[in-house]
Amino acid sequence: MIRFASITKTFSGVTALAGVSLTAATGTVHGVLGENGAGKSTLMRIAFGLERADHGAIEIGSSENRTSSGPRSPRDAARLGLGMVHQHFTLVPTATVTEACVLGASHGLGLVDHAAWQARIRATAAMLQWQIDPDARISSLGVGQQQRVEIIKALLSVGSVQGTASPFSARGVLILDEPTAVLTPQEVDELLPAVRRLAAAGTTVLFISHKLHEVERVCDAVTILRRGAVVHSGPVAGLSTQRMAELMVGTTVNLPSPARQPVTGAPALVITKLSERANAPAPRLTDVSFTVHQNEIVAIAGVDGNGQTALVRCVLGLDRADAVVTPGIPADQRLAGVERIGLIPDDRQHEALVMELSIERNLVLKDHHRPPFARYGWLDFAAWRAHAVDLVQRFSIRGAGPAATVASLSGGNQQKVVIARELHRQPKLIVAINPTRGLDVAASAEVLERLVSARDHGAAVLLVHHDLDELLSVADRVLVLFGGRMTDSGWPACDRAHIGRLMLGVA
Amino acid sequence: MILKWAPMSEAIIAVGAATLALALVVGGLAIAGFSPWSVIAVGWAGIAGSPLRLAICAQEAIPLLMCGLAATLALRSGVLNIGLEGQYLLGAVAAVAVLTLGPVGSCLPWLALIAGGLAGALWCAVAVGLERGRGVPLVLSTILLNVIAIHVVGVCVQGPLHDPATAAPQSAMVPDGSRMPLLFAGTPLHVGFLVAVMLAVALWLMQRRTALGFELEVIGLNPLAARFAGIPVGRRELTAALGSGALAGIAGAMQVAGVTWFLSSDVRSYGYAGIAVALLGRLHPLGVIPAAFFFSGLDLGARQLERRLDIPHDLGDVTKGLALAAVLVAGALSRRLGSSRPGTP
Repeated sequence: MIRFASITKTFSGVTALAGVSLTAATGTVHGVLGENGAGKSTLMRIAFGLERADHGAIEIGSSENRTSSGPRSPRDAARLGLGMVHQHFTLVPTATVTEACVLGASHGLGLVDHAAWQARIRATAAMLQWQIDPDARISSLGVGQQQRVEIIKALLSVGSVQGTASPFSARGVLILDEPTAVLTPQEVDELLPAVRRLAAAGTTVLFISHKLHEVERVCDAVTILRRGAVVHSGPVAGLSTQRMAELMVGTTVNLPSPARQPVTGAPALVITKLSERANAPAPRLTDVSFTVHQNEIVAIAGVDGNGQTALVRCVLGLDRADAVVTPGIPADQRLAGVERIGLIPDDRQHEALVMELSIERNLVLKDHHRPPFARYGWLDFAAWRAHAVDLVQRFSIRGAGPAATVASLSGGNQQKVVIARELHRQPKLIVAINPTRGLDVAASAEVLERLVSARDHGAAVLLVHHDLDELLSVADRVLVLFGGRMTDSGWPACDRAHIGRLMLGVA
Repeated sequence: MILKWAPMSEAIIAVGAATLALALVVGGLAIAGFSPWSVIAVGWAGIAGSPLRLAICAQEAIPLLMCGLAATLALRSGVLNIGLEGQYLLGAVAAVAVLTLGPVGSCLPWLALIAGGLAGALWCAVAVGLERGRGVPLVLSTILLNVIAIHVVGVCVQGPLHDPATAAPQSAMVPDGSRMPLLFAGTPLHVGFLVAVMLAVALWLMQRRTALGFELEVIGLNPLAARFAGIPVGRRELTAALGSGALAGIAGAMQVAGVTWFLSSDVRSYGYAGIAVALLGRLHPLGVIPAAFFFSGLDLGARQLERRLDIPHDLGDVTKGLALAAVLVAGALSRRLGSSRPGTP
């Protein structure tokens, strides 16, 4: 049994969780659903002791295991009976299965009884009806097998900390964080019955997902989060996937942006039947075709991990793709020079900015090698300073002046530095990926306004965005990417729920 | 503000670390019963007691400075070239080949430097090629190529470069007319010293004032952002790696053309010392100059202390190690303090 009571968490002023309460009964599989950024991960990180809640309490197993603001550490969580399997595996490739499980456990200063561990692994695997060789090397195992090892490891680590022989105790709670994200359909079909067996053996399972069919198949109850708050909690029976999708993406009425002239601009990005090679990892881009014209914002909606990354890499020319054409710009020069393509990458701190360098230097990056910033390879710092002063003022970057490091800026102002650099030359094509990620409401609005104004000045904008509300508030057309395939939603002639269904593959 | 303040604090860190190391060693000697004043006086006399000694100190600083510059160029660009040792040796081999097998002439030492630079760059290119073609990490391949380079020297001084006049594994002497000219008559200091200082200034200008230098800095700090900014990261890294190998190769060539005048199988390399010098110089081309003098001065001072006061000269190396440890700890601490500086809204 696990009970969250009014968990609240804010990150530097942004509310991630607003009084979330959730109760999962012993021996049940409880789904936790939500869009990216809905607060699922934060809630689970609090449960696992990686974050501390600002307010609220967590109760694991029974009321004597009540901790205000959550466990202090993953070890503390294990002591209380909670284990977690992360979306990204944490196994050492060169270790054997047994070694991996021993690594995850607590055994004080005592010696490791290898044979006993092997027996424990065999017993646990048998219980779940899995074939696991305790001496196999992790690197020799497929993804599905590695996940089984992760699950066994999590179960055994709880057992070892609690000192109980059986990893399945009535107090045990196992969190599976998007366990099917990396699995093939066959592997999913093998995993879900095992999850049911876990619950039947007395473990409480929290099943984090945004795949509605899986939730429907495996969960007894479900809690749906939206923008850090619970919008629904109750049994799965009687709840259609359609209804779940609506609850997840919300039913707020979104008025399309004021009617605009039909698109007349020249094409700035043409993609014709883009497919990844046959052995590319899932989700493989398949027959993706669309065109972005000048004077329009084409938004790509979709749950993260449905092919967005591969698509963006092809558009930017990081991966070779002949199916992608940017008229007037050779593929290998898409990234060079800000007058060609304005790029607002997903991860500004790693992909766009050099945090240790000054605002001034970050603003000139990309143009640093051409006049007036450099002549014959020789830099002209006076021009750099003038450029920075101009952009800091025009894009109202608030900080300690152009010579301050970008690291000293707030997230919103860091993003303004990126936008100032990428948009001030009015590029023909703008590619923006989750441009408001981690920003507060005001900063987000400002970023979106910049995109709209660039569009109005003739730019073609490709917006890949995880936040459906923001996306719909600026998009002229909305395409949906699901499982590597693209569908035109017909927006603004469709409603928001239709897009939500397309995003979740239940249309 | 911060930009102006940063180099100053770097200098304070380096000087502070060196002072701390010296103080610890001299303090230790004081506890062992040596008067600190006589230790300092004798050590200093060994370094700067006469113009000749000062010239020797400068002469010994040359290979340290050159290898320090090589390390600075590579590490600042995020290229982990740990193969300076081998690149230095290959540079020395190429220089000896030019100087002993070819004709005699005053332009020969300069040709030897060019040959040495090419050989060093080529040795580094092998490692880069292994990384690009086969995915071998540069750190590993450069270290292993160091070992191979030692044996390349051994093969050469017993084979093609062997001096037929002796049975020892060594090359012939560089003829008088082909040696590096001296800077001051009566001292062993050769003009390579000026070349090294000029290269330090040139490297500093390149890093500070050219588009190439800015790109290398960005690559060193955040290669992903560099890639997204359209900088040809692979090509720039190759430039830094080859430049670094060339500087180390020139260092080896200078040493045989200006100081040792021959090559034997137990030749000393300055590659690893160069990395230490670069770190003490805070990876700044001008900071590397005093750092190189600090290392060569410690060697000379320690030898003098051994001669006069019977103090083991290994204490010189102990001091270098302490200074390096102190500078690395201080650097890490200042980064941590720097990153926790409150952000402005």
